[in-house]
Amino acid sequence: MSDDFDVIVIGAGHAGCEAAWAAARLGSRVALCSLSRDTVAHMPCNPAVGGTAKGHLVREIDALGGLMGEAIDATGIQFKLLNRSRGPAVWSPRAQADKREYGRWVRARLETEPNITWICGKAGRIVIESDRIRGIELEEGGGFIPGRALVITTGTFLNGLIHIGPETQPAGRAGEPPSRDLAESLKSFGFRWGRLKTGTPPRLLRESIDFDGGVSRGTFVEERGDAEPVPFSFLTDAIAREPTSCYLLYTNEAVRDLVRAHVGESPLFNGQIKGIGPRYCPSLEDKIVRFPDRERHQVYLEPEGVESREIYVNGCSMSLPRAVQESIIRALPGLADAVVLRPGYAVEYDFIQPTELRRSLETKRIAGLFLAGQINGTSGYEEAAGQGLMAGINAARLVRGEPALGLGRDQAYLGILIDELITKGCLEPYRMFTSRAEHRLLLRIDNADLRLTPIGRSIGLVDDTRWSRFEARQARFARNREALQSTALRTPCGNRASALEWLRRPEVKLADLYRDGQIALEVQAGQEGLDLASLETTIKYEGYLRRQVATVERLRREEGRRIPEAFAFATVPGLSREVIQRLSEVRPDTLGQALRIPGVTPAAVAVIGAYLGRPMRPAAS
Amino acid sequence: MPSTFFSSSDTIVAIATPPGRGALGVIRLSGPDAHRIAGTLLGRSTPLEPRRATFARIRRSRSIDQVVATFFPGPASYTGQDLVELGAHGSPIVLRQIIDAAVAAGARLAEPGEFTLRAFLNGKIDLVQAEAVADLIDSVTPLQARAAFDQLEGTLTDAISAIDARLFDVIARLEASLDFPDEGYHFVDPGDLVRELDRILADTRALLRRAETGRLIREGLQVVIVGKPNVGKSTLFNTLAGAARAIVTAQPGTTRDLLTETIDLDGLKMTLVDTAGIRETHNEVEREGVLRARRAQDVADARILVLDGSEPLDAEDVAILLNDQNSRDLCVVNKVDVGSAWRAADVPALLGRPVVMMSLRTGEGVDALKPALLQALGVEAPERDPVRVTNARHIGLLTDCIESLARARAAVDMSGGAIPEEFVLDDLHDAREKLEQVRGRRAPDAVLQEIFSRFCIGK
Ligand SMILES: Cc1cc2nc3c(=O)[nH]c(=O)nc-3n(C[C@H](O)[C@H](O)[C@H](O)COP(=O)(O)OP(=O)(O)OC[C@H]3O[C@@H](n4cnc5c(N)ncnc54)[C@H](O)[C@@H]3O)c2cc1C
Ligand SMILES: Nc1nc2c(ncn2[C@@H]2O[C@H](COP(=O)(O)OP(=O)(O)O)[C@@H](O)[C@H]2O)c(=O)[nH]1
Ligand SMILES: [Mg+2]
Repeated sequence: MSDDFDVIVIGAGHAGCEAAWAAARLGSRVALCSLSRDTVAHMPCNPAVGGTAKGHLVREIDALGGLMGEAIDATGIQFKLLNRSRGPAVWSPRAQADKREYGRWVRARLETEPNITWICGKAGRIVIESDRIRGIELEEGGGFIPGRALVITTGTFLNGLIHIGPETQPAGRAGEPPSRDLAESLKSFGFRWGRLKTGTPPRLLRESIDFDGGVSRGTFVEERGDAEPVPFSFLTDAIAREPTSCYLLYTNEAVRDLVRAHVGESPLFNGQIKGIGPRYCPSLEDKIVRFPDRERHQVYLEPEGVESREIYVNGCSMSLPRAVQESIIRALPGLADAVVLRPGYAVEYDFIQPTELRRSLETKRIAGLFLAGQINGTSGYEEAAGQGLMAGINAARLVRGEPALGLGRDQAYLGILIDELITKGCLEPYRMFTSRAEHRLLLRIDNADLRLTPIGRSIGLVDDTRWSRFEARQARFARNREALQSTALRTPCGNRASALEWLRRPEVKLADLYRDGQIALEVQAGQEGLDLASLETTIKYEGYLRRQVATVERLRREEGRRIPEAFAFATVPGLSREVIQRLSEVRPDTLGQALRIPGVTPAAVAVIGAYLGRPMRPAAS
Repeated sequence: MPSTFFSSSDTIVAIATPPGRGALGVIRLSGPDAHRIAGTLLGRSTPLEPRRATFARIRRSRSIDQVVATFFPGPASYTGQDLVELGAHGSPIVLRQIIDAAVAAGARLAEPGEFTLRAFLNGKIDLVQAEAVADLIDSVTPLQARAAFDQLEGTLTDAISAIDARLFDVIARLEASLDFPDEGYHFVDPGDLVRELDRILADTRALLRRAETGRLIREGLQVVIVGKPNVGKSTLFNTLAGAARAIVTAQPGTTRDLLTETIDLDGLKMTLVDTAGIRETHNEVEREGVLRARRAQDVADARILVLDGSEPLDAEDVAILLNDQNSRDLCVVNKVDVGSAWRAADVPALLGRPVVMMSLRTGEGVDALKPALLQALGVEAPERDPVRVTNARHIGLLTDCIESLARARAAVDMSGGAIPEEFVLDDLHDAREKLEQVRGRRAPDAVLQEIFSRFCIGK
């Protein structure tokens, strides 16, 4: 037993890396098993981190003590705060990554952690003993790894199948073998599963594109990113790298006609692909066939790194035959001479319905088995990393006999992510959006630390450095607020008002007052923008925030009523068979969660509430 | 609440017609065994033909009654379950015996509102309609029944759905603009947004404005008759009540206590209150009467101010006219048979209130009273009003909805710069949630329980 690992993590993608890191930092002896040590934290698609709501997830991962925020700050090559012209609750950071540097940075950080043992191999059969994890067998006689908890984060590898036109090839990603044994081992436990699809665009040779010429002819628009980058991590003082440019162009009629002419050769349209793809991330074929009224579509040319020779063609994900892809690329304005290094492709893969999971991401069927990342039907690096972090934390806590950590929908996007997965399951690849957050005003990037760093500290994941920075930020906030209160300003109409009162007006901007020297504030280098945002938001929108807090409290009272873990929904009279089935699958832990299950009516929840409100009758004999 | 309340797996039975002796009594059975139990009661071995009225005898030990039995198989029935209706002669004793027989055959006595609860749980009706059923059964006058019927038919639900659909569209576009900032789409034009919110607000306000009238129709309204002594208040009361309820004498101060009578004024349920004449007095009983008269005015929905037209107005009249201007006042200038001492147009203290001149003695001008009263109450043409909100819960929710919409509307073009979209959206989502609550799509269980416990057996 002493040779057992506490936690075995399968896969070193974005989910696996966070899981291994968190579990190791919490004191678990971790085995990190992956196919190769060269693809750690690999980005198989878009070389970018963040975006709307995804940026929020990264801030939250960072506030809890995870890796992703620091990793992208260290290796990002262009930063942009999305929605800057809108309100502070929807500001979302996004950055282009130097893809290779990103992976190297994460691997190096994991290598500093003595609790992690690296194992190169292909996980095959999961070994259990009376519905409890014993360990994992590696394929091809690679041996048995014993462990008390197992976190599986194999992304798109379960029975992965790549499509490029009529060509199909079993693979997890281009050039990497699929995981069949592991898929079959998981299915043998009776998990409900499904098949999804995602895709990626072709990569072009950098030197084959005349960027400057494209810009001067007006076919490309250069996008530089923010001059003063807002970092992802609360620990970052400054973004070191020189910004790199991306280029925007638009599809034309020639592209449209080519896609239309060849759509029958697209596996997406001729029935070759059965898996369901993400509607929010359509392939080029989808865009042109399904939205015939839209004249043109955006295409971004994005470098995959400072040194990289590859250009990612954002917006042109496709799975047409290679030759067709090449003619489409060359039909794009300014790309007549572009060289296609690698074609775009679609990949189909198995996923496990996340309604099989508890809030801790442990499966309900097998004790000690956790699933995180794309295997749960999500897509995106940030969604994967967030789940990996939570699964790693909870695997370590399980081994130590501690209760699981669950985050509420009113606490974090991470809480929303997991709640929706385990409540609704996935019918298509799941991505986070800010509109999924009913308490969006409270879940901002500027207060991710206030929401989560104390939690990270209490479970032992937040180290002293992060904690003292957090305390300093809190103290700074209090002093700054004090300063706003005590500074009197002369308003344009000649009255005097405290800066704090003056700031309540929508047209008054704290950044202006600060830059004009009208008010002295303490800010942390690199974190200035968010320091100001926290102050300004809590003052200017105090009424809105207060109302949302009141709603949260009311909902906690009304909907937070707990449903006992082993509750037998079938014994509640008056529920339809379908509703009982949905409830028994998901096993909601509160009435609030029950209400969010698709197909469960408010009336049905009212019935359960009424039933729970009185002593339960003895089970019928 | 009884522990079996939420069970729909057993079969319930109840008398569906109001208590008391009527020509016909209807008994309803709902649940999986409804058809079997009906078969036992009727002594039939052949099944009842669906949705066909069948003439039969109820048998137990001996023949009890002749009935008309109709079988509505679920889910196309009122409750969504198998349902049997038995129309019997209305004698309470006979009905009771049939119920007993049904219970003996395996049915359970229904709890108040349980039939409607089952209809709601099975998705046959929404919450608004469920409440309307209760209103319909409670309604006293035809107009009230009409308003309740409109809700049952889903008119209110339709009106709200229409508003909700437009609100939903605005929300969706705003949300899209936040979650997809880089897609090259222009989801919302600020000018369009303002216009659309104005439209939504106007429609919601219009719905609420009808609500006041609706509430009067549903709950009935209290109309108090006030004026100084001896102007003819009690005479007016008797005239409207159609009976000599109040003592009428030539002696001032005859009426001391409050007298009430519920009448049906063209379909409007109205409680009339006759009061003591308001004046300074040393008589202790009369003083108490005056006090009660004042209090009655404070809680009334409307007042009829009676003045004596044959004499000049004095300080007491003017004090009554100036004191407490109820928005629904009607002035009656009485005793015009004796003479006209003044013209309404010359009396500023009337404050532009509607006035009718009459003589309650000769009957001159009395015909104008009812229409004038209905107009003063704001319900002059009730049958032309398309949608009415008649329920206090709905009114509260619509009021909250309007508050949220108004805040959002103000925020989108504040003079100092617009409030960012996500804050505006917070109010729009709130507004939408209120609309959903009117329809009962996401009503918390406390509301549901309140509503269903108001029901009377077997609706
Ligand atoms: C072609 C493609 C296109 C995509 N397009 C998009 C997109 O447009 N937008 C978007 O948001 N997301 C996209 N994604 C998804 C995004 O890349 C993933 O959601 C994210 O990387 C998932 O992270 P993960 O940690 O769950 O898995 P991954 O990052 O895939 O990591 C899986 C890890 O498991 C290891 N592994 C697999 N099987 C075994 C085994 N049997 N034993 C040991 N190790 C194993 C692999 O070596 C790898 O390290 C795309 C992915 C692909 C492949
Ligand atoms: N001439 C005349 N007398 C009236 C008229 N209406 C009421 N009266 C008389 O006025 C007196 C007072 O009436 P009453 O209804 O008791 O007045 P109250 O004190 O206001 O309730 C009675 O003698 C009535 O008969 C009217 O229209 N014309
Ligand atoms: Mg009188």
